[in-house]
Amino acid sequence: MIRKLAYALPFVLAVSSAFAEDSYVDMAPEDILQALIDKTGSAYLNQSPQNQQMMPDNPAYWVADEGEELFRTPRGPNDVSLESCDFGKGPGVLKGAYAELPRYFEDTGKVMDLETRLVHCMTTLQGIPADNPSVKKRHGSKSDMMKLQTYIALQSNGVKWNPPMDHPMEKAMRDAGEVLFYRKAGPMDFSCQTCHGSTGLRIRASTLPNVNIPEEWTKAISWPAERAGHQNVRSTQHRVRGCLWQMRHPGIIAGSDASIALISFWTDAARGQPAIIPDLKR
Amino acid sequence: MKAKLKTFAATIALLVSGVAVVNADEVKPHKYTMMSPAELAEYLIFVDKGYKLSQPVQEGGVAGQRMFQDDLQKTCSKLRGERATGDVAAKISAAARKTIKYPEGGIKLGDWRIGRELAWSGFGYRVGHKNDNHSKAQYGPGGNCYNCHQLADDRVGGTLGPSLLNYGKLRGNSEAILKYTYEVIYNPHSVFACTNMPRIGAKGILTQEQISHVMAYLLDPESPVNK
Repeated sequence: MIRKLAYALPFVLAVSSAFAEDSYVDMAPEDILQALIDKTGSAYLNQSPQNQQMMPDNPAYWVADEGEELFRTPRGPNDVSLESCDFGKGPGVLKGAYAELPRYFEDTGKVMDLETRLVHCMTTLQGIPADNPSVKKRHGSKSDMMKLQTYIALQSNGVKWNPPMDHPMEKAMRDAGEVLFYRKAGPMDFSCQTCHGSTGLRIRASTLPNVNIPEEWTKAISWPAERAGHQNVRSTQHRVRGCLWQMRHPGIIAGSDASIALISFWTDAARGQPAIIPDLKR
Repeated sequence: MKAKLKTFAATIALLVSGVAVVNADEVKPHKYTMMSPAELAEYLIFVDKGYKLSQPVQEGGVAGQRMFQDDLQKTCSKLRGERATGDVAAKISAAARKTIKYPEGGIKLGDWRIGRELAWSGFGYRVGHKNDNHSKAQYGPGGNCYNCHQLADDRVGGTLGPSLLNYGKLRGNSEAILKYTYEVIYNPHSVFACTNMPRIGAKGILTQEQISHVMAYLLDPESPVNK
């Protein structure tokens, strides 16, 4: 009897996990995307079957592999690896850590996103000077920053966005980010809402994601992602910069509290939906 | 020796308690948490300087100016993309009408071919990185029309705004239509309070002459918009 149960157990577990509602942790990013398309029929999610087809061969996987090596290699004047860097779930714990960023860190007294936390560990733990290209160069698949970010974020594929809101600073930054998101300014009177407040509408040929639909919004914020048109893996901070550039707002300073406030709000807006990493965008 | 040890221990105790005091200070609510979300947002822009505020911009001056909100931007931000209604809408539209400057000699249609280029182009006024220099561009900074509107069907336009295909064919080009079209382009809040559409004339995105070309693109019977 017990033996029979033991044989049956893996099968029961497999069936129950397949039917467990909304579990995406063991799914490939393209399958997560397909599940969300099936669930919502969203024109935004479904706008590029070509990109979806290419996702299994996403160049971002190579970038992440190089990131893993960088992550595990002792580097900098202090000759230590990043394995002792705490991304919020304890030193070296990466599984699901990115899905819970930005968060408040006691050691810096600041709310930090993935990029600022990584910069913090590289400059303090490893002792790499802030003007060293390894820290300073933030964009492009060949940069250490994007290799590392892609590797770290990859460990949260399928994990539901769950940025903590327990600390008053986390709440304050999220709420200020919401104000910034809806704040019209500049020669064109644009705010983030101008493009991201409705569903299924397009800027030229591009269908836009709606901040109010978490199933759409999770893809919008799933960075790093390979941008087919750029032939580079791009970061969250790169997306913020690009949006503000299109909005004709002043350039945002990477890692500024303004940038992190925006990222806190937009991550909260995708709460409960699975991260799709690495994504492949147009 | 014993005394020395005692002193040493006391020093350590002091140091430790000193550290404890510092920690207690840190537990004090951070200034961010003492502000309202709106106050913190302003603080992050203008005091913490999270943006490149001192960068020169195409319209003259520095980028920081662009982050100061006028009354319309303040009012409409609070509506989060919804149109204003009732008294608020009436007030906004009345103020918007006052900003409209009409061309001397009346509203006339320019060249739809130039209008087509202006309606398609949308690169002007970007800053932060890859700053544009549209003073050297043949047709100026561009009107960004196609970003949000379908116009002629030979190019793909956006859908954030309504389709303007056959705009003139459907409306004709009477004085009243010319005036209405000019006003909506110059300051759309005069008609649609808290619309997402930019104030193309009132904010100096396009000149009166450039607007006349865009209007020709919309209204000239020969324009592809109306073919």
